Amino acid sequence: MSEEIQVSVRDEGPATVIDLIGDVTTFAEEAINQAYQSASADGAVNIVFNFRENDYINSAGIAILIGVVTEARKRDQKLLMTGLSAHFQKIFRMVGLTQYADLYPSVEEALASLNGETNR
Amino acid sequence: MGPQSSRVVELRIPSELGYEKIAREAVATVAHRLNFSEEKIEDIKTAISEACTNAIRYGSGSDARMKVVVILTADENKLDILIKDPGASGAPPIDINIPDISGMVEGKHRLGGMGLYIIRELVDEAGFVEASDEDEGNQFRMVIYRVGDHEETNTTDASKKDKGGAK
Repeated sequence: MSEEIQVSVRDEGPATVIDLIGDVTTFAEEAINQAYQSASADGAVNIVFNFRENDYINSAGIAILIGVVTEARKRDQKLLMTGLSAHFQKIFRMVGLTQYADLYPSVEEALASLNGETNR
Repeated sequence: MGPQSSRVVELRIPSELGYEKIAREAVATVAHRLNFSEEKIEDIKTAISEACTNAIRYGSGSDARMKVVVILTADENKLDILIKDPGASGAPPIDINIPDISGMVEGKHRLGGMGLYIIRELVDEAGFVEASDEDEGNQFRMVIYRVGDHEETNTTDASKKDKGGAK
């Protein structure tokens, strides 16, 4: 019943982008963690989780992301999240995830924010 | 759905994660027919997903031989959702706690436990209700009003949401 998530990793200038297409639920845990570990193994400092707007995200999926936040803090990595619908932006704020990851409408805007920091 | 009428939709889904998406789609269809706003429909979809996931995981131990029953009762002013599970894990939680995300990040608390909190924030009324004598298991009820400002209801079963809570 659950749409299997497709996760891919790509380098985009100052960041590594992890694209998520499909349901972000408990079934996505292995795929998300593998992508994150792969990015970290390649030395990623800035990681963008790029969601597809209107995909299904539930609290189990949010818990997976909190697990990533925990690892990222240990590694001094910066997390950014893009592509979330207004509804899921609200949910992420509600549970406090935005304390640990900045939200941007698009990957381009997230990368621009990083480039701005680099130029400062 | 005409004025003054109410419609009842009843679903029986296998107690297996993923099937909550059927309830999610069904409730969205009903809420559209009631002319709920798009924002409210998204809230309802997330709330019912979380409630059904709890019923599947905790109320019936993800045993697909069991069923979770979802009853949607719609009238012109509100959508009343009742979710029944077999109560495999015993009594449901009494309190709904605000998730301590910093505690989770610091490893002090286990990851998760956010579903009931999210539900409470998204709907007008939410809580476990006492099952009638012929029903066994847990029953979780949520009410969402079509218009945000509604008169206080007399229900004593479902706990009223704290209107001062974060939204």
